[in-house]
Amino acid sequence: MRDARLTRRNFLAGAVGASAAFALPGVAAPAVKKGTSLRLWILKTYVEPTNKAIEAAAQRWAQKHGAAVTVEYFTFEDVQTKYVAAIENKNTPDIGQLETGAPARFAGMGQLLDLTSFARQVEGEVGRPPANVAPVTVIGGTTYAIPWYIMPAFWYVWRDVFEKNNVKLPSTFDEAKAAAAALNRPKDNFYGMGQSWNRTADGYGVMQSLMYSHGVGWATKDGKYQSIRTPKMQQVMKWATDIYKEGLQPADTLTWTGSGNNENFIAKNIAQTSNGPSITFAMENAVAKATDAKDRKAREEALANHLALPHPAGPDGRRMWAIAMSFGIFKTAKDPEAAMSLVAHLLSPEETVRVMNDSYGQFTPVLDKARAASKDYFSKNENYRTFGRAAEWFSATGWPGPVTAAAAEVQASNVLTDAPAKVIVDKWSNEQAVDWADKKIKEIYDTIGR
Amino acid sequence: MLVIGLIVYPISRAVWLSFTDKLVGYPERFVGLRNYLYLIDDDGFHAVVRNSLVFTVSSVALKIATGLAMALVLHATWRWRNFFRGLMLLPWITSTVIIALTWRWMFDAFPGRGFFNSVLLDAGLLSRPIAFMATPAGAMTAVVVANWWRGFPFFGVSYLAGMQAIPAELYEAAAVDGAPPWRRFWHVTLPGLKHVIIVTTLLTFIFTLNDFNIVYVMTRGGPGTATQVFATYSYEVAFNQLRWGRGVTISIFAVPLLAAAIALVSRYLLRDRTA
Repeated sequence: MRDARLTRRNFLAGAVGASAAFALPGVAAPAVKKGTSLRLWILKTYVEPTNKAIEAAAQRWAQKHGAAVTVEYFTFEDVQTKYVAAIENKNTPDIGQLETGAPARFAGMGQLLDLTSFARQVEGEVGRPPANVAPVTVIGGTTYAIPWYIMPAFWYVWRDVFEKNNVKLPSTFDEAKAAAAALNRPKDNFYGMGQSWNRTADGYGVMQSLMYSHGVGWATKDGKYQSIRTPKMQQVMKWATDIYKEGLQPADTLTWTGSGNNENFIAKNIAQTSNGPSITFAMENAVAKATDAKDRKAREEALANHLALPHPAGPDGRRMWAIAMSFGIFKTAKDPEAAMSLVAHLLSPEETVRVMNDSYGQFTPVLDKARAASKDYFSKNENYRTFGRAAEWFSATGWPGPVTAAAAEVQASNVLTDAPAKVIVDKWSNEQAVDWADKKIKEIYDTIGR
Repeated sequence: MLVIGLIVYPISRAVWLSFTDKLVGYPERFVGLRNYLYLIDDDGFHAVVRNSLVFTVSSVALKIATGLAMALVLHATWRWRNFFRGLMLLPWITSTVIIALTWRWMFDAFPGRGFFNSVLLDAGLLSRPIAFMATPAGAMTAVVVANWWRGFPFFGVSYLAGMQAIPAELYEAAAVDGAPPWRRFWHVTLPGLKHVIIVTTLLTFIFTLNDFNIVYVMTRGGPGTATQVFATYSYEVAFNQLRWGRGVTISIFAVPLLAAAIALVSRYLLRDRTA
């Protein structure tokens, strides 16, 4: 797939990788050429303070080195479009924040610099990511990106609703479904759950968590295709479709976009949903925006009652798919050395913690020293303690195998969420839907590895 | 030459890509008809063809009917005519994304937000909100309605211009012969508008078949694949799955259909002119 010859650029990348790493704290850093100009692409999330904090961190580096950093944003909506257009037009940024599947996809295209030596230096200074996170950026033994944080998903519940109805807080998918049945009051427009199988991370992410927690993966440990036509996958499909068939969710759940579950949860139309900490961000913000004492009290009560539980476990354990964000440096980078210096700056525990402090819990650092520095932040309350443990449960796209371009395409093709949708909307049987999904996945693996 | 270059190069490039297995970031390789054969066998693509035709034909039919009604009303002499002529153009000049978002909210089942649900609930006609966009038929209806609303003023204005070009003597002669209004409409107005109707229908058929914004913003092709059309499916395959060759082929598939429509209409118009 990749050109195996040692090109001048690769050689250069290896050489500068070693030297640029010296930009890390405590090590004599080579001077970045004055007037260096870099383009940095970062993810714009719902949590605006996080976006601003990353931008400010980049500008601090620029100021320190007399350089310029142009920060450009992408969102979850246009991340693919922007990168695809940039790659085809040979207009990629110097540094790009990459989501879970991107290092594998872009490395396969030969777009990313080999950062193996740089990663070793980073490891020496800032530590390494947990073993379950590391494979996101190491493709075929070569490191193409440096992981920074994960943006996890949790199981949000209304504690007061559960307590009032004497229902146990769920720790497994089956318990969550049983709780949904116990709490469901359609006549009052209140539903036990809100889980959409849509084309966003709230859909395909949860589907992967559900599958992996049931021990179902479409890839083997070495990243090869394996069939999902198994009894375990039937169990997964049954859970995914029964929550619809049994009327445990609002009728329009399947049509929700990325914010549909946030809105319905915050409006207390549903008792539970899977989501990132942007719900907490909205609720903390709501308190700050209270108009009077009565309003403030109501919002504070709501904030206290919203509880982020660890994502449910399945019969095979607790595995949570999440967005793992890393930094990659593109081969088109005009000054790879400066780019690595900027990445090193952003990865430093000091800058990482600054960004994290403005993240409302949705930014879980993964490198050792940054994780250690984040302990206080994640002891703020029960929810934050759960947020802080996110990396423990992280499972990447294509579990139990490494993240590969084919695994990333399985996720991107929406086959994982279209399968239950075919049962719910088109009235297919679970068996038909699993067979259909399996055929599509096999086809992706048959054609992607050229 | 410039015009030819601007038209011929993109089309020939697209046709070439459809014969390759082009993946984003990789050089293309010629694979002959493989993409076409894949799509012919792809159940997802069959649904896309069906959805595209339902979406396009329903939208265009609604636009013709309401465009005619709008033109007839605005053609009549009444006091606020000029004001309403301007007002009716509002949907046409509004951003498509705003229109799509507005209609999405109107069909929303979120308590207290969806327009239709709020009205029906407040009027006591419903006890629980209806999830309009949760069913394939409901979602398709929603995107058709939004597309119709955006497009009918174009028909109305075009028909109005056509009506103004019909000589008043024809109506007078028909009236003298005792023809009631509907017969005047049938025998004078409609034949006078024939060319305008054909051209507007053809143009809108092409635009609607290639429409992306409304479906993408309102439903993303869902629920499931119930509203997936050529443009959204092509985008998903090209940009999410990174399979450009196949993504382009999806769009190219619609070309013969459109070319046939254009050829038929052109032939018809030319025949009429030479007769």
